[in-house]
Amino acid sequence: MKDEMILQVQNLHKSFGDHEVLKDINLDVHKGEVLSIIGASGSGKSTLLRNINLLEQPTGGDIRFHDQSILADDFDVTLYRAKVGMVFQSFNLFNNLDVLQNVMVGQTTVLKRNPAEARSHAMALLESVGMAPYVNAKPDQLSGGQQQRVAIARAEAMDPEVLLFDEPTSALDPEMVDEVLNTMSKLAHTGLTMVIVTHEMQFARDVSDIVCFMNDGVLAESGTPEQIFEHPQEQRTQEFLKRYMSRV
Amino acid sequence: MSHLLKKWWAALAVLGLLGIGLAAAGNTSVQAASKDNGEFKVGMEAGYAPFNWTQSDSSNGAVKIQGSNEYANGYDVQIAKRIAKALGKTPVVVKTDWDGLPPALTSGKIDAIIAGMSPTPERRKTIDFTNTYYVSNMTMVVRKDGKYANATSLKDFKGAKITGQLSTSDYDAISQIKGVIKEPAMNNFPAMRAAIESGTIDGYASEVPEGSSAEAANPNLKMIHFAKGQGFKTNPDESDLAIGVRKGYEYKAKINEVLAGISQKQRTQIMNEAVANQPSTGNTGNWFVSLMKQYGGMLLRGTGMTILLAVVGTLVGFIIGLLVGIIRTIPRPRSMGKRGILRFFDWLLAVYIEVFRGTPMIVQAAVLYYGSAQALHLSIDRTAAALIIVSINTGAYISEIIRGGITSVDDGQFEAANALGMTHFQMMRKVILPQAVRNSLPAVTNEFIVNIKDTSVLSVISVSELFFSGETIAGQNFQFFHTYLVISGIYLIMTFTISRLFRLIEKHMDGPKNYNVMNNQMQVETPKIGAATSRKDA
Repeated sequence: MKDEMILQVQNLHKSFGDHEVLKDINLDVHKGEVLSIIGASGSGKSTLLRNINLLEQPTGGDIRFHDQSILADDFDVTLYRAKVGMVFQSFNLFNNLDVLQNVMVGQTTVLKRNPAEARSHAMALLESVGMAPYVNAKPDQLSGGQQQRVAIARAEAMDPEVLLFDEPTSALDPEMVDEVLNTMSKLAHTGLTMVIVTHEMQFARDVSDIVCFMNDGVLAESGTPEQIFEHPQEQRTQEFLKRYMSRV
Repeated sequence: MSHLLKKWWAALAVLGLLGIGLAAAGNTSVQAASKDNGEFKVGMEAGYAPFNWTQSDSSNGAVKIQGSNEYANGYDVQIAKRIAKALGKTPVVVKTDWDGLPPALTSGKIDAIIAGMSPTPERRKTIDFTNTYYVSNMTMVVRKDGKYANATSLKDFKGAKITGQLSTSDYDAISQIKGVIKEPAMNNFPAMRAAIESGTIDGYASEVPEGSSAEAANPNLKMIHFAKGQGFKTNPDESDLAIGVRKGYEYKAKINEVLAGISQKQRTQIMNEAVANQPSTGNTGNWFVSLMKQYGGMLLRGTGMTILLAVVGTLVGFIIGLLVGIIRTIPRPRSMGKRGILRFFDWLLAVYIEVFRGTPMIVQAAVLYYGSAQALHLSIDRTAAALIIVSINTGAYISEIIRGGITSVDDGQFEAANALGMTHFQMMRKVILPQAVRNSLPAVTNEFIVNIKDTSVLSVISVSELFFSGETIAGQNFQFFHTYLVISGIYLIMTFTISRLFRLIEKHMDGPKNYNVMNNQMQVETPKIGAATSRKDA
């Protein structure tokens, strides 16, 4: 069932000047898989995600989407991005548009859906994230948790093949984290392919099929949640989890 | 750093080439720009009574001003009519700012300058002059109840504060007075009259006709009658008046013939008529009412032209600014060829911005209007030339304002738009520009207001906007203070209206402070959402 490979990261390198942030990353994402990436701040998790969506340009290696290199000169980047959605740590809702327009704009401009169709799709998604009552509100009139739920609906509205989450709860007040995690859990159970960078260990453990531990620019260890959280093999993983669990 | 320097050198090189091109072209014949179509086009300020002034009807043999509903009259106009008649042509007056007269002549926009101009050696370098059509006779204008009212000799002005008109022989002649305090030169006679009344100067040197006009118009002023041999000594080259024509002008000999046929007695007669016919101050009743009655139309037309220039200039400049903003923020394409093209466009736009931001608008206008006629033999309508210059000039400034607006939009907005798969143009249109424009609005309002005021420099290419109209009026009614008070009132009304209007637009763009919480699906399907989405699509 999870055989079809969607994304392949091969020997990926990324440097900012002399500073090498990603050192030879290899990662496969299969269709319908929920993959979480955990690790300390500064370990390169977000950079990896931003490279996958080409918000950063890799300095070495390759990323393949359906076995096509996304780094090729003739590769259609905009089309690719329409199929690979992203949810940001700082939400990044369009400030000039209201909630409904935020969820519609990608559909009407990129996918060329007609406005009526786009609106009913947007309404359904906003309903599912519990934001339907706020269609008229502007982003700055909403709480962080509410904004992030709209941002998830906006990414979903494109009917993406893969959704990338870049620490979606890190900028939220503690009491708002749950509403966003619940929304993501629901999504995970729909069979959508998801790559999640997160610090929420419990959540990663509950929803993921695969958990990767990243440390200092390399993928140190990966496996099922059970393998990583119950029986970590690497010493670095053990230390990281120990520190993290003791804090909760 | 070196990148910036390179751009600068490029801009300088372009400017240099432009200059060389114009200079080279300037030496060639420029007959082509002014086709011989039976018109004798005469350039003058039409604001230097009694030599030339503007009036609203054709009384006393006035001549129509090209491209307006107004007429010009005065000593110069009457001389021009006699010449035109002898040439078998129709006289046409082209109202032009003093500094714009020589370029207008050399570029072929006019056939002759009859504007109270003296044939100085400097001027003879660029243009030719006919024989004298008015012999100078200099005098001094003072306060009637002042210390110098009974002077009869230049010696009496020892220690007096005296001035004269900028870049005229009158001003240079002041040095003939021993022990005089030579004040800085002033721009026009109305200003000097006001200066005498306010006591900042004791008197000004001028030609006799100006002196008698001043005396007639203002009871507080007096013209000095010097005893024989005690007045100013004048050099015919410096102070007699002659008609300026292009070098090698075919009708120069003919004009000299006509001038020779007008006797000194006739000249005095024409001047006396001019002094008698010049527009009266009309100082009866409320000054505001009489000013409006006499010059309301002129002010209205000037205001209309100013608004036209500012609105079109700002609007077109804004569109240019948006386009430049979009192009300059295009991300680097992957293919080498496209990258090269983009670099070239970037460079071109940088040159455009530096050149138009780095040179005064008055120079740009003169280069476009007179330069195009001189170098390329193109005859551009002066209003069109003014609109083009204001638009391009404003575009250069607004491009940078919009760039600033785009830079101030949060990076996350770009990333989110990219992540949705928007193209650069879609992202700009739907997400970035609406925010960038909102951020830029206060600065754009500034540009608009600057345009209302600074378009006054376009009088150099004879565009009769509000300030030029005001100058003309003050040159006729001698109510310097009153006229400029009204003009500033009009400017203030315009600029204030614009700033309030833009505040409203800003508020509208910010949208409502509150929103309605929709509690069920039914409410959501109300037309309000439809309106909201259609606004987005618009």
